[in-house]
Amino acid sequence: MNVMIRVAGEAGQGVATTGLLLVEAFANLGLHVAATQSYMSRIRGGLNWYDIRIGEGPMYAGADQADLLVAFTSAAREILAGEVRAGGQVLFNGEASNGVIAVDLDGAAQETGGNKLYSNTIAAGAVMELLGYDVAAMEALLGEKFKKKGPETVAANQACARKGAELARPHGGKIQAPKPDGGARREVYAGAGAIGLSAAVSGVKFAASYPMTPGTATFTFLASVADRYGIVVEQAEDEIAAANMICGAVYAGVPAMATTSGGGFALMAEALSLAGMLELPICVLIAQRPGPATGLPTRTAQQDLLFALHAGHGEFPRAIFAPGTVRQCYDVTRRALETAHKFQTPVLILTDQFLQDFEQTIEPLSEDYAPIDRCLAENPGADYARYAVTESGISPRAVPGGKALVIVDSDEHTPQGHLSEDLDSHTAQQDKRMRKLGGMTAEAMPPELYGPADADMLLICWGSTYGPAREAVDLLSARGQSAAMLHFAQVWPIGRTAAATAIGQPKRIICVEGNQTGQFAQVLRAEGLIGDVERLGKYDGLPMTGTWIAERIAK
Amino acid sequence: MTTSTLLKDLAKADTQPAWCPGCGNYMLLKTLDKALDAAGLDRTRLVLVSGIGQAAKLPHYTRANVFNGLHGRALPAATAIKLVNHNLEVIITSGDGDMYGEGGNHFIHAVRRNIGVKCFVHNNQVYGLTKGQASPTSELGMITKFQTHGVMSLPFNPLALAIVEGASFVARSFTGAPEHLQAMMTAAIEHKGGFALLDILQPCPSFNHLNTFKWYKDRVKPIADTHDPADRAAALNLAFTWGDEIPIGIYYKSGRASFESQLDVLKAGTLVMRYQGATSPSAPSS
Repeated sequence: MNVMIRVAGEAGQGVATTGLLLVEAFANLGLHVAATQSYMSRIRGGLNWYDIRIGEGPMYAGADQADLLVAFTSAAREILAGEVRAGGQVLFNGEASNGVIAVDLDGAAQETGGNKLYSNTIAAGAVMELLGYDVAAMEALLGEKFKKKGPETVAANQACARKGAELARPHGGKIQAPKPDGGARREVYAGAGAIGLSAAVSGVKFAASYPMTPGTATFTFLASVADRYGIVVEQAEDEIAAANMICGAVYAGVPAMATTSGGGFALMAEALSLAGMLELPICVLIAQRPGPATGLPTRTAQQDLLFALHAGHGEFPRAIFAPGTVRQCYDVTRRALETAHKFQTPVLILTDQFLQDFEQTIEPLSEDYAPIDRCLAENPGADYARYAVTESGISPRAVPGGKALVIVDSDEHTPQGHLSEDLDSHTAQQDKRMRKLGGMTAEAMPPELYGPADADMLLICWGSTYGPAREAVDLLSARGQSAAMLHFAQVWPIGRTAAATAIGQPKRIICVEGNQTGQFAQVLRAEGLIGDVERLGKYDGLPMTGTWIAERIAK
Repeated sequence: MTTSTLLKDLAKADTQPAWCPGCGNYMLLKTLDKALDAAGLDRTRLVLVSGIGQAAKLPHYTRANVFNGLHGRALPAATAIKLVNHNLEVIITSGDGDMYGEGGNHFIHAVRRNIGVKCFVHNNQVYGLTKGQASPTSELGMITKFQTHGVMSLPFNPLALAIVEGASFVARSFTGAPEHLQAMMTAAIEHKGGFALLDILQPCPSFNHLNTFKWYKDRVKPIADTHDPADRAAALNLAFTWGDEIPIGIYYKSGRASFESQLDVLKAGTLVMRYQGATSPSAPSS
């Protein structure tokens, strides 16, 4: 059993503040929580909403219909009323009308707390009451949150939460929300933060970015932990600078990362090629949003897979990862950094607005510093050659400052790293670089199967579609249909044998992706892993849900 | 695979340096080596960073760690190298097209940061590697195969911009005055306060027939001893002096703190040294 609360209003009204309070309060009660955010590209006005699901077990995606809609504005009520489940409730900040619970949030905030700004706390208190949760849990959270602001602020917030609960009391008992089982509080993480934490823990010591939604959240996280982990975080003048900075940083000897979205990544394409040529283990997070061009800046998409795969002139090896859950954001980021360093080549991590903002209650993530092995050469001497030709294609990597001179050049070069126009030397180096792809393929992460191996219907997905596809499999299975999901958290290179075995020979294969042209299906087809299969794409800017997928493929 | 037998000896044609006879780069390279040796700089602690162009090839012709990156992108890479290991001496060798054209935005922001790298710009007022197009510092009216009616954009003023945006060391020299050039390079290397710009005028005998060796020689004039490099207004005045007389010497020097010296995170040591609790076998010794 699970329920969904949707908090909606204009930008600047505190929709996110209310949502965050509720997420934390529910997690503190030991409940399972999954939350998504929808917002417009503006600082004021518009319509934003924050969806919070509460369940008895883990949830992996958002949902379509709300059990409780909290509408801060008439527009929020009118636009989202159709997405309230039968028997659900609407808490409206305004005049009473057919069936809505009208609460003057602003008035109550002014009266109880002395400031309209407390309307978020009034709403949060009311939601606790409507779901049958003790408002004391919200009061305790507010006590923690506003401790630094002094006892008066704490008291005003707590009084407003109680007032909200009191105003909602006559309407309580209608929604059957999961009951806390008295277990310990759960930890909540968002995808963006899980990537940032993993990078910090794994030893990223330098991060450079130009602000771009929805990649910014990860960079903001890195900035927030920079002092703790000893990271230089620099806002570059543009994405070109950011990408060239991380090339310089890894050359000098530390793991480095840039965060961006598709448009910013487009500016990084030349530096990506540079990292391929210089054999630098850079890592770029591409948090996707719908294009082309500026597109829909605050919405979600999986439209940049083929771009990530083909960006950069010339031919060089790369690995592309695409985590599907908040936990995978943490694990896969480390894996990406390790792959980059083992094979001395760029890696890309693809997420999107949905996964960057997606919050889940999960087992606590380790915050202990555990730097990855940079795979540096042991005791390189004066005769060191940065690009020594080896069977694996991996040359011993040294960093400047030791006995060895480290010479790297974006022109084709000799094993010593010096510019050379000798064509034999070029071919030897090009072959050496590309040989690394063999090792990378042998070590590629196998896809994860969810559901029976012999299911009739196989949903193939990658990246953030994990959650919606997994929930779709549960919905289809509950209806007696034989379905499974195969999820790729590494989308390039692909270990063909493992993938072919995992795909098997189901009656139906449906590639489910957040784009119009079936980009991953194209990759799998080019690799000879699938034929002309069914495709299900969503590219309207909003995330998929389990119901959305299940309804479209159940036929 | 290997290439055809016809071309198997192409390596023999891969001669160095790839510069024209009479190019100012020869004197510049020789003088740089002298200045580095005079400074007693251990070459393993030196990183030469460059972009693309004839000037950017210089690091290959001497002994140093080398990061020869993309066209116009030397500064972002150099900035990060300095931030990861501030014990390294980071010197950029770049041309006027590489630094002031393709890399113009990075130039503005590296100066604003006052990052502690030395930026040596070989300024011959023309594109060399692409064969004679106008550069950002080409004179008004200069006719080229691209600018068939003459250059119409005002020449970029790197010294004035660097002074205005906060570089802590701004100087100019000329490859035809090797002793002066070496003194300027030494002063830049010894400057510990942050970003050092040394704009080096040099003739391009192949593609710039306007600003020849003689043209520069007749005009360059050492800045008078009475000039106070801490005087920003006087420095700007010098930066706007171009024509019959071109001042060479230290235009401006400020006590502004370098970018890296202000980062708390670097106070405990370099990032590269602090990566692991125990240093790995190949980690630098500084």
